[in-house]
Amino acid sequence: MTAPLLEVTDLRTWFATARGEIKAVDGVSFTINPGEVLGLVGESGSGKSITGFSIIGLIDEPGRIVEGSIKLEGRELTGLSASELRQIRGKTVSMVFQDPMMTLNPVLSIETQIRLALEAHEKIGADEARRRAIAALAQVRIPDPEIKVDYYPHQFSGGMRQRVAIAIALLHRPKLIICDEPTTALDVSVQAEILSEMKELVAELGTALIWISHDLAVVASLADRVAVMRYGQIVETGAALDVLTHPRHDYTKGLLDALPSRAKPGEMLARGADADAVPPPREAATHEVPPLGSPYLVIEDAVKIYQKPAGLIQSLAVRAGWAAPEPIVRAVDGVSLTLHRGEVLGLVGESGSGKSTLGRMAAGIYAPTAGTVRLNGKAVMSGGRSPVKITTRVQTIFQDPFASLNGRMRIGDIIAEGPIAHRLITRRDAPDYVGRWLAAVGLDPALSNRFPHQFSGGQRQRIAIARALAMQPDVVVCDEPVASLDVSIQAQIINLLIKLRRELDLSLIFISHDLSVVRHLCDRVAIMYRGRIVEEGGAAEIYDNPQHDYTKRLLEAVPVLPEAAE
Amino acid sequence: MRETTPLSRFLSEFSSNRTAAIAAVVVLLIVAIAILAPLVAPQDPYDLANLVLRDARRPPGYVGTQGYVHWLGTDSQGRDLLSAIIYGLRISLEMGVIAGGIAFLIGAFVGTSAAYVGGRFESLIMRIIDLQLSFPAILLAFVIAAMLGQGRYQLIMALIFAQYAYFARTAHGAASAERQKDYVEAALSVPLSHTRVVLKHILPNSLPPLIVVGTVQVASAISLEATLSFLGVGLPPTEPSLGMLIANGFQYLLSGRYWISIYPGIALILFIVSLNLVGDQIRDQLNPRLRR
Repeated sequence: MTAPLLEVTDLRTWFATARGEIKAVDGVSFTINPGEVLGLVGESGSGKSITGFSIIGLIDEPGRIVEGSIKLEGRELTGLSASELRQIRGKTVSMVFQDPMMTLNPVLSIETQIRLALEAHEKIGADEARRRAIAALAQVRIPDPEIKVDYYPHQFSGGMRQRVAIAIALLHRPKLIICDEPTTALDVSVQAEILSEMKELVAELGTALIWISHDLAVVASLADRVAVMRYGQIVETGAALDVLTHPRHDYTKGLLDALPSRAKPGEMLARGADADAVPPPREAATHEVPPLGSPYLVIEDAVKIYQKPAGLIQSLAVRAGWAAPEPIVRAVDGVSLTLHRGEVLGLVGESGSGKSTLGRMAAGIYAPTAGTVRLNGKAVMSGGRSPVKITTRVQTIFQDPFASLNGRMRIGDIIAEGPIAHRLITRRDAPDYVGRWLAAVGLDPALSNRFPHQFSGGQRQRIAIARALAMQPDVVVCDEPVASLDVSIQAQIINLLIKLRRELDLSLIFISHDLSVVRHLCDRVAIMYRGRIVEEGGAAEIYDNPQHDYTKRLLEAVPVLPEAAE
Repeated sequence: MRETTPLSRFLSEFSSNRTAAIAAVVVLLIVAIAILAPLVAPQDPYDLANLVLRDARRPPGYVGTQGYVHWLGTDSQGRDLLSAIIYGLRISLEMGVIAGGIAFLIGAFVGTSAAYVGGRFESLIMRIIDLQLSFPAILLAFVIAAMLGQGRYQLIMALIFAQYAYFARTAHGAASAERQKDYVEAALSVPLSHTRVVLKHILPNSLPPLIVVGTVQVASAISLEATLSFLGVGLPPTEPSLGMLIANGFQYLLSGRYWISIYPGIALILFIVSLNLVGDQIRDQLNPRLRR
């Protein structure tokens, strides 16, 4: 039995605010042995990141470690001076953050950044630093490290940037690395690569790792042990396989049950099965709507090209051959897609695949450069030089409920604005109408005079859903509506969408990068890659028997939870 | 637990900067005095019956023939300088607020619509504004004031023309950023009309930077007006603003009668510096990058 590398006992990190102390971390104890991988799992606000920051001594004012001890190789870390902590930070313990775009300095080359990190703890010459930088990049599998070492962060993709951040964290052969959601901002396939590389590196170097994540499946694929956090406390800890297959604590069970990958497709998810009120009856004309199952929203050969418009002087320069024309980006490159009435069509792809652009064309927010988008045979947008959306029967739900609600309007006005403008209701009926919609999405109608910032992310997404549905649409384009939400909130929103879709006979285009959510919710799936649809078909068919190489790669990259051996 | 509204939080943060708090008090005091001028001023400087030529150019503290003390002395026509400054502030403030306010509205409209419409319209409008910003405001105002002649409306026009470009530039920047945000796309996907999207969604969210520019621009409108009046192309002599008071005393400066120019100058500086301090503090508070 070796001595533990890190021993955290009864750690309490509190933040003093005007509204009293916020107990972000409230009595956390755990140990890590050398070379062990600990997964620290929890939803947002559970204190998992603050635990990580406390260990490495990066707690900002007004936060402070109130009590408890953090022992690294027997040495107490709490109460050390800033300079003593600097000796340890980066050398014995290092950290990898969520967003590599924010942690790498955009105006310094990779070589310089690695040299600075080296110089922080040892005396080193320029040639030696360069050699070490190249070796460090090679270690994290960056191709052509001799060339890439002179690059700047913006010349790398997100995955490559995160590899650089990991390379910097590994420079001094630390005994412990703390990774705070390092793959959350990355695509599934990139995440899969980084996960497998990280596994190899940790085994190779014998480094202990704390992997902080909200994603149980990611943790399952990497960690030896798992600690589940909630409200600043660890509710359950144990061997990874044990915790994930035989959870003992109710919270862990709930978290696992909320995952769409563990439920039967189309069923309500276990969490948040709240009885919501029935939505108000539709008043818009429904008689011209075709029967369920017939083609409804038809996209034909849609193309969307982005090109920065050239100014007068620039276009002259281009004509004279002095300047290169602005590059053309074909975000959507000839897509035909049919949404049948009443079905849920999943649109899956990684970032930059054009799925959001396609969704916005379907919703009439962007006009296609070429091709048509028709709803029930009628164009969604008017033609001409400045096209405007002319139908109200397609509505949209956006990804980020913090950005998609106007912060200067009361939520009642946000919901009523569209229906009043389009005379679905009168101003006098608005309060009643808004109240019924709020009830239908599971919010208290009395809250209608509040502002969006007074609500949580999940509540805001409910408001956004009410706003879209209050327009009484037939088709709703959902652009990653659950991507920025916690697992249990995600389950509630998915349940709400399933319920409302059944009650209102809605047809949905569901855009997502999360394959398990799509599988759960969608009847048909279209896979997008580089502006084109590479594969399309029934959800079960595609998931069980993918044809296209890209689809196969995508499905393999999804981290899976170990199944309980019943 | 005390209920904190955004306004009360704003005020408590504002008053934590002592300089800005004092400046705010000075601004409020000056505005109050200017508005209440007829009640506060010892003498009505417009009433020619009050003017006694024998009292002209007397130093501060002189007891006039009418029996009261001229604390700041008198000017070349025997006017009580304190009263003249109070009334002058009133005129300067009026000019600054009216011109600044109208420039605000025009600039906000032009800048926001340029950002919203985009394309050639945006380039055209913004290039015109760039062109205008490349001339010193004082030169523009001078040319316009000289072309339109003397008078308060002409002066207001000149001030507006010299100032709206700053508001338009700011509004354009703020609105271009707001234009990209999801809530605008959400409004377009309803669909709401362009007018509604601009007025109800983009404009209210572009306001904070405009308010900051507004406070600074009111100060600069006042100093611009004073400059123009000093140079003789501003307000007619019947409406003596601070700039004209300074100009009137200018010729006596070298003969030792400093007070006729200096005291209106001090009033002007005090007001403009305070306004700028208030504006700076609001800017810092609304700028999340400077937040601690």
